[in-house]
Amino acid sequence: MANQSVATEKKSHLQHHFVDEDQQFESSKMGMWIFLVTEVLMFGGLFVAYIIYRAWHPDLFYEAAQELDVALGATNTVVLIASSLTIALAIRAVQLDKIKAAINYMAATILLAGTFMVIKYFEYMDKFGKGIYPGESYTYDGLEHEMAANFFSIYYMMTGLHGIHVIIGMVLIGWMIIKAKKGLVHSGYYTPVENTGLFWHLVDIIWIFLFPLLYLID
Amino acid sequence: MSHHISTLPTLLSVAGALLVLTFLTVAVTWINIPEPFNVIVAITIAVVKAAAVAMFFMNLYWDSKFNSVVFLLSILFLTIFVVITLLDTLFREGGLPVY
Repeated sequence: MANQSVATEKKSHLQHHFVDEDQQFESSKMGMWIFLVTEVLMFGGLFVAYIIYRAWHPDLFYEAAQELDVALGATNTVVLIASSLTIALAIRAVQLDKIKAAINYMAATILLAGTFMVIKYFEYMDKFGKGIYPGESYTYDGLEHEMAANFFSIYYMMTGLHGIHVIIGMVLIGWMIIKAKKGLVHSGYYTPVENTGLFWHLVDIIWIFLFPLLYLID
Repeated sequence: MSHHISTLPTLLSVAGALLVLTFLTVAVTWINIPEPFNVIVAITIAVVKAAAVAMFFMNLYWDSKFNSVVFLLSILFLTIFVVITLLDTLFREGGLPVY
């Protein structure tokens, strides 16, 4: 009897159109990967814009990148790598049924993501203070190049879209904390935590490319 | 259930490697590498870092290989996007004057 009730409880997440838990898990994860492909292609459009402009105006990119603070960019890279580690540790903790540890790791991830956004906020405010706005609002006269505004339009679009993803990631991880507190995720069913982790790692991967491409042009 | 559970040493050493590579990508800008090679070095380091995240944090290394194929396809199509666009923009006489 006791065995049976455990079995029913563990099966409760299984939708009727899947053969078993594993197939459901694998399908869900594959769906997440296909979504991540669309994310790569969405950012891809911005990367293409970056590549074309840099090919046209290499001198502009060299000049304008000096306005960005390498120390802040590097700090944010370290912060995001640490957050990738904590979300990976959170998934490991859920797999091992250490729900309390998982919640702590996820809270740490949100804290690191918040740190990233605060640093980004100060970077943006520093730029805005100089009149470095995207597009036609650009009023900074510290750069010689006539196309200077274009570099910063690309900079704001790339880091801005990335920042929106960081915020979405924080909301998703917050949702996973609520799920974990309600006991809805455990070693037998942790698909949402796994997929949130995949999303968060992709946000990290995109920053891994943004950092050298925007800050480290020498 | 045969899901892969990453060991602590794996996760910690991948994070350690990522930190070392982050330091490296900043450090190579201190020595002046000539023009095309500095970009190549920066992108190579970023690709290695991204591959480490995808393989060991996103578990592609232990996963069904189909997920790796899906992810690599996105890179393939991004490459097509870049190459075909550059075939146009790189060979325009004088570029586009407005931009």
